[in-house]
Amino acid sequence: MALPQSLRTSVTPPELELIASEQLIDIVPLVTMEKTAFISGAYGPLRPPAKARVPLWIAVNLKLKKKCHIVPPEWLSVEFLQDRLSRETSNPGFSQLPFQFAEISKVILDIASDDLENPDKIRTLLKDIREARQSKSREGITKLDHSELGLSGLCSMEINEIRPFFIKGMNVLTKLIRDPEHPPNLDET
Amino acid sequence: MNKDCHDFAFTDLDDTQELPLQRLIRHWMNERHAPDILPIQAELLAGILDHIHKQSSTVNLLRTDPEASGDEHFRIMLAQTEIERVKFVVRSYVRTRLSKIEDYARWILSDSSLHGRLSETELKHAQSYADLLTTHFEESVLKALPGNQRSLDDKVIPPMVTPPDITKPVFVLARRDCPPVYLPDGTKMEMKKGQISLTQYRVIDSLLFQDHVELV
Repeated sequence: MALPQSLRTSVTPPELELIASEQLIDIVPLVTMEKTAFISGAYGPLRPPAKARVPLWIAVNLKLKKKCHIVPPEWLSVEFLQDRLSRETSNPGFSQLPFQFAEISKVILDIASDDLENPDKIRTLLKDIREARQSKSREGITKLDHSELGLSGLCSMEINEIRPFFIKGMNVLTKLIRDPEHPPNLDET
Repeated sequence: MNKDCHDFAFTDLDDTQELPLQRLIRHWMNERHAPDILPIQAELLAGILDHIHKQSSTVNLLRTDPEASGDEHFRIMLAQTEIERVKFVVRSYVRTRLSKIEDYARWILSDSSLHGRLSETELKHAQSYADLLTTHFEESVLKALPGNQRSLDDKVIPPMVTPPDITKPVFVLARRDCPPVYLPDGTKMEMKKGQISLTQYRVIDSLLFQDHVELV
């Protein structure tokens, strides 16, 4: 019953998606529902056509049954992403994006692309942003040492992506340094 | 559109607004990433389990109600979905701890200051697991060795008790401005709210125990 070996080294993208689905998002409901107490909190009432704020997983559930429209977050628009992309390519640092932008945008693009303006353009922009940021985080490898590496601005999915390699790299460097106060673990890992 | 986006990036880090489920998710992720076993969130877990139980019985009650309308069915379905989501988190949290308890059973038992990090049931499990393992080692190998090499606790190198590898690097996200900690190369680091760093677990373990940081 212990955690399976495959899950012990890292978290999986579906798990990150599950976590991100707790984030609140605006919807325009097409059905009425009284205010309902859930474990995470109370949501509703839903009264079409008034906007309501619910967790993403409820929005997904309703959307799949064609019972609501999702109001995309402000940052999931061509205008905003275009601006981020130009910053991303002109500045050396990571530009500010919501911590779970990759998960949330994937969920919305997958199930509610008809609620977005120009979803294809948004997909392309997200991909370009992802690639620009990826090349920066790969450059980070050159600055890796046994002690600390600042990665502010990185988002949860990006961290998960670089995790195995960065951890392994830092581990090797730690072993090479051989801090006399903390003798390296002799068990072969 | 060019406004500063600091707000939306870290809105979820505010302690006062953190709901029980979000707290559990945070501790679940900490547990998943930390090499060491972290203190059990007993109260939080009990509260959530209680909530799951209550919600399930409400759902079952409504289900059997023949008067329930379509609208009602729909709420039941959402509540049911959420129960499954929460159960998944709880299960994964407990199983993550279980895997560490089994890996480090003898190490945990050897240091009584660690016992407080486990729940009563977990501690019992660690004890019986360690006993099983010891018996197995003795039966399969140790009894065939010369007497002076049979001990499992001897302070030789390599040690016979495996501790967690606290030099394992982890990704840390500061939930607020943190008191200074010392890095392996001797420099001082003061994490600012929202800062993300990759560093060894032993550097930030005290910050983690005080909820100043979370692992991502």
